[in-house]
Amino acid sequence: MMNNLSPWVIFFAAIFTGNILLTYFLGMCSFLSVSRQIKTAVGLGLAVTFVLTITSALNYVVYYYILDPLGIVYLRYIVFIVVIAAMVQLLEMFIERYSELLYINLGIFLPLITVNCAILGVSLFMVIRRYTFIQSVLFGAGSGLGWLLAILAMAGIREKLNEQKIPPALRGPGIALIITGIMAMAFIGFSGIVQIQ
Amino acid sequence: MKQHPEEQNIRQNFEPGKISKDGFLGGDTRHIHDIIREDQRTLSRLGLSREMVAQRLQWMIEEGKKGLEGVVDKGDFTIQVRWARGMVSCPFGESGLHHKLMVTVFLKKLTKEMKYTQLSVHMIAEHGFFGGKQSTYRLDPEKLGLLVELGKE
Amino acid sequence: MVLKIVFTVIVLAGINGVLASLLVIAERFFSNYGECKITINGNKRFTVTGGSTLLSTLNVRKIFLPSACGGKGTCGYCKCKVTDGAGPLLPTEEPLLTKEEIENRFRLACQLKVKQDIAIHIPDELFNIKEYKAEVTLIKDLTYDIKLIRLRLPDTDEIHFTAGQYIQLQTEPYEKVKEIAPRAYSIASPSSEKKHIDLMIRLIPEGICTTWVHCYLKEGVRVGFTGPMGDFRLHEGTGEIIMVAGGSGMAPMVSILDVIVREKIERKVTYFFGAVTKKDLFFMEEMAMFEREIPNFTFVPALSQPEPDDDWKGEVGLITIPLGRYLKSIDASVAQAYMCGSPGMIKACANILNANGISNDRIYYDPFA
Repeated sequence: MMNNLSPWVIFFAAIFTGNILLTYFLGMCSFLSVSRQIKTAVGLGLAVTFVLTITSALNYVVYYYILDPLGIVYLRYIVFIVVIAAMVQLLEMFIERYSELLYINLGIFLPLITVNCAILGVSLFMVIRRYTFIQSVLFGAGSGLGWLLAILAMAGIREKLNEQKIPPALRGPGIALIITGIMAMAFIGFSGIVQIQ
Repeated sequence: MKQHPEEQNIRQNFEPGKISKDGFLGGDTRHIHDIIREDQRTLSRLGLSREMVAQRLQWMIEEGKKGLEGVVDKGDFTIQVRWARGMVSCPFGESGLHHKLMVTVFLKKLTKEMKYTQLSVHMIAEHGFFGGKQSTYRLDPEKLGLLVELGKE
Repeated sequence: MVLKIVFTVIVLAGINGVLASLLVIAERFFSNYGECKITINGNKRFTVTGGSTLLSTLNVRKIFLPSACGGKGTCGYCKCKVTDGAGPLLPTEEPLLTKEEIENRFRLACQLKVKQDIAIHIPDELFNIKEYKAEVTLIKDLTYDIKLIRLRLPDTDEIHFTAGQYIQLQTEPYEKVKEIAPRAYSIASPSSEKKHIDLMIRLIPEGICTTWVHCYLKEGVRVGFTGPMGDFRLHEGTGEIIMVAGGSGMAPMVSILDVIVREKIERKVTYFFGAVTKKDLFFMEEMAMFEREIPNFTFVPALSQPEPDDDWKGEVGLITIPLGRYLKSIDASVAQAYMCGSPGMIKACANILNANGISNDRIYYDPFA
């Protein structure tokens, strides 16, 4: 385990070479559904980034200061999910208060961030790879921004595709998955810059 | 079947008392999508499309309106359209209001009566929904074959 | 072993407890919009607690915007102009507002939430709308499907309305109907009567309110209604008055005819009542009485499909026929037409009126479809 990596290397790697969505294929469900419009995609991307950063930090504290000392690390799945759920609930209240438009546009996908596997995935990776606190926070933020980058790119492409003629069988999820695959292949080009595992 | 909360709320609109007194399901417990799918199968088997059916039903409404609540005689069948005040929204939840028209078509040779509303035509055209079994204004795709043939000029 | 389980449960409960408390505090903070000032028409000001929709916030202050769907965002009746403090247009409002309305800052009051100081403009007539609780003192059959109901206000209340206006009646839950539903009905009683109102209600198959009125309402029961509302009324003029309304559409006409009697209006009045068979006719005696009391009033009922047993000697055919024939015999240049009925009937008659010299600016109708 390369644990003497600079946190900033981890940050950039999380965005490009180890993109949580395009390299690890985590967090696909809301990605496919909310990537139709750039505005909502950016909104959801920022929400996911917020949740990832906060939960990485919180879960680090809970894991190393509560679960580990008390010898109950096997509870990490339940505890991580509960922390994630609470943070998403908080975020939902915030968005409903300050941007009702975004709240309505996101609809069910805002609470669904809770079960977005990218979120739990990042917390678990942080533990498996034994990151320090700073590394975890930047890993969370970077993964969020990587997810945001992917969904933003997808939304941009899909908005442009609106005017194109796509064969009926491929419209909607079909073409979206093909595009995701092509984007993933493009991101493979980044690998080799740095390994963070 | 897993439904997300928005869908559960929509199903409530089909129940009695929400939009119409007896609702649109008539006690049918199937999921709305299942009702639509099975009726679509029947339609395809009969070689009909929902657009064809909706168009024919709408034509009958327009002819019936000319009678200003009286019975309009079209030879093999009669149409009576009653128009009530107010507008009604679609249970599927999209915005948009529909006039409250109640249509009774009487097929002379079969002495059969068929009843439907302006809202039923919208639901058939846009959602492929013909009404739950035993609901008041259900239009059975089986029987619609006859209706579509009528009045073909 | 057991100790370990208990211990684990306690730790988990502790973590959950901390998070839950955090959320409760956050909820208090986030859903507290504080006090917001509402300014109406530039001069009425009051302070409310923010967080609810504009429609319900105004209702709490006894200001009633018309609403047919009870705030669900499907009827569009609660539109009002919001000049300040509205926030971005919501996707739930868009489908019900036209482009001009959006440009002129109209919003749907049942969707817009009051989150900050807000300034709105509403027509002055709306301030006259109140909530009433009345007792049903009379239920009378007018025909096989139309009933007249009389609602008497409590001694402390009075209603002030213009003949032609309507009220929104609130249904009560019954059978499988769990929610209340507001439905609009024109007032048939004279506007000089401030202690009660009469309504004419026709039974509609599958109708939530009409079924309740016809099958469940009894004399002595208390019901709620809001009103008076609407712009339909008698307009000033010298030309003759032509009324067209069938079935329960007669309600506002009866109220207007009463005004004509009381104010001794001398214009010629002809009322065309369209029906299908004789059993659709009602209030024949009342109409005969109006014919006696108003010097130039004629009631013209027309049956489109009279039955042989009806032994009908009056006009036969769709109402457009005697109407058209009459219009050709008069000078329609300053005549006014008043209609109440289904959009289909109104359209058919408006065509005849236009064709015979009565332009749309002299045609008035109750648009609650």
